[in-house]
Amino acid sequence: MRALLRLLPTAALVIAACAPQAAPAPSASQVNKVGGSVTFVATTDPDTLDLHQTSNPVSSTIFGWIYEPLVYQDLDNTYKGLLAESWTVSGDSRSITFKLRSGIAFTDGTPFNADAVKFTFERLQRVGAKSPIFETFKNVTAMEAKDATTFVMTLKDPYAPIFHDLQVSYAGILSPTAVKAANDNIGRSAVGTGPYKLKEFQTGQQITLERNAEYKWAPTLFANRGAPYIQQLRYRVIAEPATQLAALDAGEVDYLGLRAQDLAKYSSDTRFKIFDSFTFGLTYLGFDAKRPPFDNAKLRAALAKAVNKDEIVQVVFENKLAKAQCCPIAESIQGYDPRLKDLELKYDPAKAKSELDGLGYKPGADGMRISPDGKAWRPVLYTTTSDTHGKISTLLQAQFKAVGVDVQIKQLESGALLAATPKAEHDLYLNGYSWNEPDMFSLFLSCDRITSSNRVLYCNPQLEDLIKKGRTELDQAKRMQIYFDAQKLTMQEAPWQPLYMPISKTAVNAKIQDLKQGQAGGLYWHDAWVKP
Amino acid sequence: MGRYVLRRLILAVPVVLGVSVAVFLMASAVPGDPATVLAGDTASAEQVERIRHDLGLDQPLPIQYLHFLDRLAHGSLGESTRTHREVLLEIADRFPYTLALTLGAVTLSTLLGLALGILAALNRGRAGDYLTMGFAIVGLSVPTFLIAILGIIVFSLNLHWLPVAGAFSPASYVLPTVTLSLHSAAVKARITRSSLLEVFGQDYLRTARAKGLRERAVILRHALKNALIPISTIIGLQFGALLGGAYIIENIFGWPGIGRLATQAIFNRDFPLVQGTVLVSAITFVLVNLAVDVLYAWLDPRIRYS
Repeated sequence: MRALLRLLPTAALVIAACAPQAAPAPSASQVNKVGGSVTFVATTDPDTLDLHQTSNPVSSTIFGWIYEPLVYQDLDNTYKGLLAESWTVSGDSRSITFKLRSGIAFTDGTPFNADAVKFTFERLQRVGAKSPIFETFKNVTAMEAKDATTFVMTLKDPYAPIFHDLQVSYAGILSPTAVKAANDNIGRSAVGTGPYKLKEFQTGQQITLERNAEYKWAPTLFANRGAPYIQQLRYRVIAEPATQLAALDAGEVDYLGLRAQDLAKYSSDTRFKIFDSFTFGLTYLGFDAKRPPFDNAKLRAALAKAVNKDEIVQVVFENKLAKAQCCPIAESIQGYDPRLKDLELKYDPAKAKSELDGLGYKPGADGMRISPDGKAWRPVLYTTTSDTHGKISTLLQAQFKAVGVDVQIKQLESGALLAATPKAEHDLYLNGYSWNEPDMFSLFLSCDRITSSNRVLYCNPQLEDLIKKGRTELDQAKRMQIYFDAQKLTMQEAPWQPLYMPISKTAVNAKIQDLKQGQAGGLYWHDAWVKP
Repeated sequence: MGRYVLRRLILAVPVVLGVSVAVFLMASAVPGDPATVLAGDTASAEQVERIRHDLGLDQPLPIQYLHFLDRLAHGSLGESTRTHREVLLEIADRFPYTLALTLGAVTLSTLLGLALGILAALNRGRAGDYLTMGFAIVGLSVPTFLIAILGIIVFSLNLHWLPVAGAFSPASYVLPTVTLSLHSAAVKARITRSSLLEVFGQDYLRTARAKGLRERAVILRHALKNALIPISTIIGLQFGALLGGAYIIENIFGWPGIGRLATQAIFNRDFPLVQGTVLVSAITFVLVNLAVDVLYAWLDPRIRYS
């Protein structure tokens, strides 16, 4: 569900991508499509609608409808203008000048301009410690609104992922007037330029968004260039999966991510259409690379060969909701390179056994391996309490047992897990990331993050050097080569054994017409309408 | 009576403060740092430190508790670390839903429990007794979540009479209230039955009948009123249990109550909100039990408080 919710803003951003030309007058058939409502499910309340004060995925999903950022990532992974019309990068790559679109207004009626962009990003620098793009804006040394449609951003160092970070929903532009009117307290009063505006926030129950009838800057990607057809979007807060399914069956919700066990039922139900989506993430098995014995890359590589990814995908996901991955960058994310498949540490239990033997981990009397110093060896696998992670851990335990390694499982609630990993309490770590940028290396495998988001505590100066180069290299071809090298090194060193990319399958009420699916999986709503 | 109530209210202050200390200590002992959880899984150590400082979590525990008391003295329970709204405001949004659910369940379970208990007692050893006690056993032994899911399948999906989730209309209250009340009704039915059977043999009932009172008056005015004392004790205790136990029901029925709010606050390590919800629940529990004690005096004039 988290993965699904993360996808929605991406879709919404693309929907909202604007075009320079004015929208044509709606035809009679278009007018007839206006109306109706679509109800989504949220597992929790969005904690706040202040996009600088949260990293909550439900909030992020809703931001995608209300706010618009300067740029969006197109189907081919390139960045295109949304609120920005165009931009130029200075010769030293330290300054970006954005030419902004004119004629765009916030839903409070005030005009969108360079002052609003400056106001928004300065506020992010001031109060945005909880925002996933806070660190990005630490690298921004100056911002200037040269005129109403020219905004200049100066960086301390060249920073290649800047456009990725500017396209996420957390980088949406706020209405300064609305923020000031709310005395900076915009947790329940979001005002942006997006195709929808906040109508009602019923705590613990429902968030209702109302169509922005003044919206007329939809991108050429859509047949409908004006306001969206669907009158209202609702997010119903339902935590319990069984209740979510019952609500879908009863017609109380129209859109729900499915579990593998529910697919057969809904695939044959004509009341629903099923949409597939890749996700921009990867689940991996990590090794605590800082502490013995897993500071030994050969031991990590030997254990990686005991992992049967295909079995995990088949047993846990019935070959439907996940796809096995070879490499640290999932195939949905820019930077994936199929040539790396040859370097994959493939499932080979015989080789895993012989390599473990060679490293001195010999089987004891009970068939389970003991460490070279003769002591019992029971590596502990840490993971979340999620049902899926529980099943995968059990399967991994059996796969390791087959090569004589007695792995113990410790499932921790996610908050406790986040606190445990920097303390290196674990030997193995099962979790995933969701980040649509090859710079994910800097978040999850860099030395700088060893006390925070680098949960395998892996630090390699060679990789560190590649990470720094990848962040500053703006030439796309050269940058992709850097990430090819970074992946190659990571696959040889094996701090992670990549497992699978989650795939989301969503049941959508068949009354919703003209909902389109992009190549990368996201759903595009701007042409969609509800059949009465 | 007035002085007694006042004394009980004053005595409730240390109880509530004790609860606040216990919750504060338990919250600080929970593994998982609030700043880390708030920052999310991609945050840097510096971001986490900054959030920790902003929340005052880098101060010693006693200082943090004194700040909490200071805020309390000024009528504030602090600000939710997640939503940045006043905790009292968060609770005010959600508590009425839980209170409505709990009051509905207490009322329904009391009426149902009394009716079934009276029926069983009057038909002791006969079919009516076995039927009602059979219901009580089912009510006690079938898990609440199962009743909830069965209720959704039958009344929402098959009959389309009631909504699955939410609290959008009066019909939304039916399934959660009935589900929450069944277990409690079963307990009350059993206690009513045994209390009534105990008083049925008392001399004052024989006297009442000898005076020529109608059987209905004998049962309702004399037998039941005396049997109500243990039942009212149970009502008070169950009110607290229902307040706490509403979480499962709230979760299943997507009910916007305080149980879900508190649980989510625990997962989010939103400690001001955890403290606030527990304090409000504790105060409610204390007040309900005080009301039950006052009720004793009305039910049994021999009971006098001084």
